[in-house]
Amino acid sequence: MMPFDRMLLRLRAALRRRAADRELDEEIRFHLEREQEKNVSAGMSDSDAWRRAYVAFGGVQQVREAHRDVRGVPWLADASSDVRVALRALARRPALAGAAVITLALGIGANTAIFSAVDAAILRPLPFPAPDRLVMLGENNPEMNWHMESVAGANYLDWKEQVRAFQDIAAYTSGTGHGTLTGAGDPQLLTLQAVTGNFFTVLGGRAALGRGFTNDETWDTTRATIVLSDRAWRAHFGADPGIVGRTIHLDGRLTQVIGVMAPGFTFPSSTVDAWYTQGWDRASRTKVWFRRAHWLRAIARLAPGVSVDEANAQFQVVVRRLQQQYPVTNRVMGAGMVPLHTYLVGDSRTALFVLLAASGLLLLIACANVGNLMLVHANGRAPEVALRLALGAGPWRLTRQVLTESLVLSSLGGAAGLSLAWLGTRAITLLAPARTLPDAGVHVDWSVLVYTLAITTACGVLFGIGPALWSARRAPGDALKEGGRGPHEGRRMRRWGEALAVAEIALALMLSSGAGLLVRSLWRLAHVPPGFDPRGVLAVGLELPQARYDTTPKVNVFDDALIAHARALRGVTDAAIVSHLPLTGTEWTSSFSIEGRRPGEYGSEVAHREVGPNYFRAMREPLRAGRTFNASDRDGSPRVVLINDVVARRFFPGQNPIGQRLTFDKIPDSSSVWRTIVGVVGSEHQISLDAEPRIEIFTPQAQEPSGDLYLLVRTPGDPVSLVPQIRSLLHDIDPEQAIVDTHTLDDVVATSMARARFLTTLLLVFATVGLALAVVGVYGVMAQLAQRRTREMGIRLALGAPARAVRWLIVRHALGMVVPGLIIGTAGALLATQALRSVLYQVAPSDPLTFVAMPLALALSALVASWLPAAHASRADPAQALHVCQ
Amino acid sequence: MSASSPSADVLRGTLDLLILKTLALEPMHGWGISQRIQQVSKGVLDVNQGSLYPALQRLEQRGWIGSDWRTTTNNRRAKYYRLTATGRRALGEETASWRRYVSTVELILGTP
Repeated sequence: MMPFDRMLLRLRAALRRRAADRELDEEIRFHLEREQEKNVSAGMSDSDAWRRAYVAFGGVQQVREAHRDVRGVPWLADASSDVRVALRALARRPALAGAAVITLALGIGANTAIFSAVDAAILRPLPFPAPDRLVMLGENNPEMNWHMESVAGANYLDWKEQVRAFQDIAAYTSGTGHGTLTGAGDPQLLTLQAVTGNFFTVLGGRAALGRGFTNDETWDTTRATIVLSDRAWRAHFGADPGIVGRTIHLDGRLTQVIGVMAPGFTFPSSTVDAWYTQGWDRASRTKVWFRRAHWLRAIARLAPGVSVDEANAQFQVVVRRLQQQYPVTNRVMGAGMVPLHTYLVGDSRTALFVLLAASGLLLLIACANVGNLMLVHANGRAPEVALRLALGAGPWRLTRQVLTESLVLSSLGGAAGLSLAWLGTRAITLLAPARTLPDAGVHVDWSVLVYTLAITTACGVLFGIGPALWSARRAPGDALKEGGRGPHEGRRMRRWGEALAVAEIALALMLSSGAGLLVRSLWRLAHVPPGFDPRGVLAVGLELPQARYDTTPKVNVFDDALIAHARALRGVTDAAIVSHLPLTGTEWTSSFSIEGRRPGEYGSEVAHREVGPNYFRAMREPLRAGRTFNASDRDGSPRVVLINDVVARRFFPGQNPIGQRLTFDKIPDSSSVWRTIVGVVGSEHQISLDAEPRIEIFTPQAQEPSGDLYLLVRTPGDPVSLVPQIRSLLHDIDPEQAIVDTHTLDDVVATSMARARFLTTLLLVFATVGLALAVVGVYGVMAQLAQRRTREMGIRLALGAPARAVRWLIVRHALGMVVPGLIIGTAGALLATQALRSVLYQVAPSDPLTFVAMPLALALSALVASWLPAAHASRADPAQALHVCQ
Repeated sequence: MSASSPSADVLRGTLDLLILKTLALEPMHGWGISQRIQQVSKGVLDVNQGSLYPALQRLEQRGWIGSDWRTTTNNRRAKYYRLTATGRRALGEETASWRRYVSTVELILGTP
């Protein structure tokens, strides 16, 4: 209590320094006047009395100082004077200070920008109440190689009812759908998300208007209701406050708006315009398909007081019980859970941490560089320091002065870096591929500011500590004698400078090795043939609403008209339809069996897609055997399929697959639909370029039409220019049909590599800046060395040494830093690049080419950097060189 | 600054004690305190006026004395110091500890 009061008093006194000084002055004046009066009454003259009073008092100034020391916080006053001195010292050497501030700004800026991204994507909690109590549930099936896959409806319901450790479980359909809003001008497309009735309750989402769904509405098959997102409410309904209760036309169906969610709620994606309930039929629960089809993402909220481990233990008991209870579907069906946060950030974690580490290396290089500048600075002011030492300044005071200078410098660099970071976060938001960063974006906020302050201070101490310690350790006599460059201390400072240069080379090598590996990996990835020819193809996404396209003939009429009209467009060489595009992350899979083989022999699932006639011609994919689909493969004609050559190789080695039959049932029975293989086609990379093509079966769109489809048109010109024509032809066929999205296939391929390119681009930028800083650093050390040895060089040249030998002397000195730098750097890089293993494609983390090329490149740059000062030194005029150091 | 010998501390401690004792009679300004000490000690102790004011500040921060500006009898503004309750308690303790110290020194000096 007392100490705190006293602290406040002192602090206030320190801040109110002027007022306190004034008060003291008045007090002293009063004292002196009384003393004078006393002396006068003792018989002295006025001036004599005043002089005596003054003498008796002692030094007024000393009393003031002593008073201040007692009263204030001395270090605060000292610190502010240190800062003023530091600013003056830096202002005297603007070039040096500027270089240091720019270097630091680069390092701190890069680091802060990446930290902002890490903070936004990984560190910040999810925007739900008690987000750490939410877990994602998923199904695991070792036979199908499933890990945290989508959940079957019936399994979800059993978990929800039987696992007590979960307070409740909500589910949403994996993948969003679309609905066309009509009745107000042009048809508008809404992104829709099907959810269970308890979805908002489990996540803790709050409706700003109206209400969310209730648990029972999961089963409501009669009423069509939606809850709007805040964004859709503003964009499509003009933020109408009376929206709740209104009826809208969605896919031709009357739908009632029952609520609008609060602005922050956008789960599972920021693109969701509206949520609607699953609307399951209670009769479905007992059907086999309800347990066989996997289409839900399930999120559980843990019951109060239950730990994740306890919940998982209970959960596993239920999962095992279901395995025994439903052997047909669940024989090997396991399930797992991960914290929701982990599930959502899992993918970006590695990339962001790699970038954070890389920007950390860059920052260290920047620090080392500035450390060297500070040495130059310290040398420059050695005479001043020597003088102060000789005059009796305390060593601690001097150390503190130098350290203050580094901190002032790093603060300036930090401030500049913060502005750079602000720009950087804008760039990162633009560059980052979808779903790497949270929807809310990346911002410089308080936690980022605290981080920047921390690294800025750490930098200041890191590069200031060497000069700070040594500047005070000189013997004043020595220092004065040699103008501050005592032989012993000088060598120590030089060693420190060279150590910094070695560190810079090592760090730069680590950075550029990582960047080199990623560039190699990206190059390899970009040269993987995707299995189709993406050039000049436009893909137009459509979703035919079930309500209006409820029969196969209706869909086929639409599809036929679409293909025919599209092919007739000027500049279109080919048109086709397909249920979904490769390399976009969408994949439909099914179990299957081949006629005449033992059930369950395959143990894996097959991807399947519906394609129209000419798909393979339009995509320029080869036909390996048999035929592709034609116009006669329609509803009612014999069921046919095509297989890709991976299926042919794996299941029909040395046989002719044409004419054999297969079904999409794991265990065929009398109700199974058999389809005859009529051809073998080439393989596309379905998921990503770095994943091998999988087994895939194609069925004719006209036999089993999909309401989700892409129109593909190939043109020798610019595919994007076709968009308006396609929009108008679509309007001619069905005026209520909106376009979901349009892409060129080139973009699709590029987007599939977006994450690799993002990581590679940023790392390349860091490595380039790091390399440049390191080379500048080496140059700086060598230039100083050359300058210091100018006199020696002059003597050597005067005594007849050839210029070549003189140059070699300097270069040999540089090698003494470069070689250890490269050795340490290579060792460090070999360790560090292991972290890249999961993001590299067909390049080993210890790729020999990279680990030869990068050290060589670095060695060359460093030698060039040391050659320039060496060449300069060898050109020195001996007479002048001898003169310089007098 | 003076060399830091052990006697400096003792003297400073003594000055604090003398100020407290002086203020125990009545509130007083700085010059008054110095005059009073000189008077009472019959001129033996001459307070170093330079160290008086920092000492007053130190005691005030310790909460032993308080201060306010008042008008003197001949109508001049002066800063008056007074003993606080804590200061009164401290005076007792400091006096006791001083006596203990003096008698200890006496004892040592008394032994042959």
